[in-house]
Amino acid sequence: MASVAGLRYLTIGQYVPGDSPIHRLDPRTKLVALALLLAAGLATAKLATNLALFLVICALVGLARLPFRYLRSSIQPALPVILVLLALQVLFYPSAHRDPAGAGRMLISWGVLRVSAGGLWAASISLLRLINLLLLFGLLTGTTPTGALTQGLEHLLRPLNALGLPGHELAFVGAIALRFVPILGESLETILQAQASRSVRQEAGTRWRLARNAQRTAALVVPLFVEAYRRAEELSWAMQARCYRGGRGRTHLRTLVFASADYLALGLAACTVAGVILLQRLPLP
Amino acid sequence: MSSGSATSPSAHRRDAAPAYERGIRRIVTAGLLLAITLLMAFTPIGFIPVPTPAGSATIAHIPAIIGGILEGPLVAVIVGLGFGFGSLMSPAVPVKDPLVVVLPRLFIGITAWWVFALLRRANKGVLTAILAVLFVLLLGASYEVSKKILWLGIVVAVASVAITVGLYVWMRREEVLVFSLAVAGVAGSLTNTILVLSAAIWRLPELITPAAALTIGLTQGIPEAIVSAIVVVAVVSALRQIHTRRRGARL
Repeated sequence: MASVAGLRYLTIGQYVPGDSPIHRLDPRTKLVALALLLAAGLATAKLATNLALFLVICALVGLARLPFRYLRSSIQPALPVILVLLALQVLFYPSAHRDPAGAGRMLISWGVLRVSAGGLWAASISLLRLINLLLLFGLLTGTTPTGALTQGLEHLLRPLNALGLPGHELAFVGAIALRFVPILGESLETILQAQASRSVRQEAGTRWRLARNAQRTAALVVPLFVEAYRRAEELSWAMQARCYRGGRGRTHLRTLVFASADYLALGLAACTVAGVILLQRLPLP
Repeated sequence: MSSGSATSPSAHRRDAAPAYERGIRRIVTAGLLLAITLLMAFTPIGFIPVPTPAGSATIAHIPAIIGGILEGPLVAVIVGLGFGFGSLMSPAVPVKDPLVVVLPRLFIGITAWWVFALLRRANKGVLTAILAVLFVLLLGASYEVSKKILWLGIVVAVASVAITVGLYVWMRREEVLVFSLAVAGVAGSLTNTILVLSAAIWRLPELITPAAALTIGLTQGIPEAIVSAIVVVAVVSALRQIHTRRRGARL
């Protein structure tokens, strides 16, 4: 029960209003810059490059003037999984290969559990990389309202229309999903409370009782799907009532305009990627 | 939850609806299924305990399967795409290669849709024939294995006899629709496992060897397929008001 109590505070897609230089950027710029920095974050395998990227992201967060609490809440839900993964990586690090010289040194050797310097090193790199990725997504969703995000995504997907693919519809599906994650999370909380008040056992049985655990999950997931379908029904009626006609010929109240700040931001993002690639090539740890 | 229109009318109206209405419904349903996927991928409800070394199986691929079964291949691909991007962002997934994480996910719902479309109109005679072919294939596989490792071949043979008999008995007792739902759930789940692991062998040969992939496939793939079958039957029969032998899902 406690493990899902915070569902409604899931920060995917939560916008923090503000008027910082980052907030004012064009959503297209932010999406492209995020993709670039994400690529940089995925490509790095060294501590130095990840640290550099972390500093850049911290500077961006400072520039966006996002509250510390918001950032903490965008990392916190993922923290248990991250910690377990890191523990696994440290304990079962294959010390025999893929080690830089000297890093295979054992720090603790206790039966099958061995903690090597290389394992700790790899774990700290993964930790930093994961935090970088989470902060990047937090930065994007924190400074961009969902509407602007969809509009930007739709513009970026426009080349797909030439291929006959529904760019607008794809962006719209993503927007609906992001909007409904917290709402369905809240529904899930209600379902859990309703079941708890009727004394349904919330915690899973031992992991050997597979069929029983699956049924318990089904009992939780079925009302969730029913609720989602009910909401889908309501939403599609509402859209029909407002004569939704898809992306063709659609105009926007606010049209997106590229300003000089956007070109500057894109240039800086490209420079960061280039810098990270350069750092990666240098003989750094 | 607030009161509103019931879910059942949508099931009846779906086939008769004009293209315009169907288009909107498809977009909205895909969006909500994707929302459930993200919810499952980012919170503990998407992981259930199983008796394998990893300790938990994911059910985040199930909305894609259900999308395929109920809404067709287009919705399935969209939800699968979203699932792929979700796992790309998720800290629970250590691999961040789009070819491993995103591409295979597109096919989850397609396989489920295809298998379901193939089986739903079949009668029990056809299903028995398919089961017989499957049994022969499994026995052939066990013979091949026994040429290399004798005891493993015998184990596979015994297991395939048990699986076939179990499936046959269950199929005779259950409705064809429920049986095809379960098989579609298994097929979608196995598509996920097999394609992701194949892509991992192809893209990350130094991290995942074929032997390791086989181990992961057996220990993760089979429990996930079983869980997927149970949950898919429960959810779809609740949504389409199909009566299983137990009269709907036990809530």
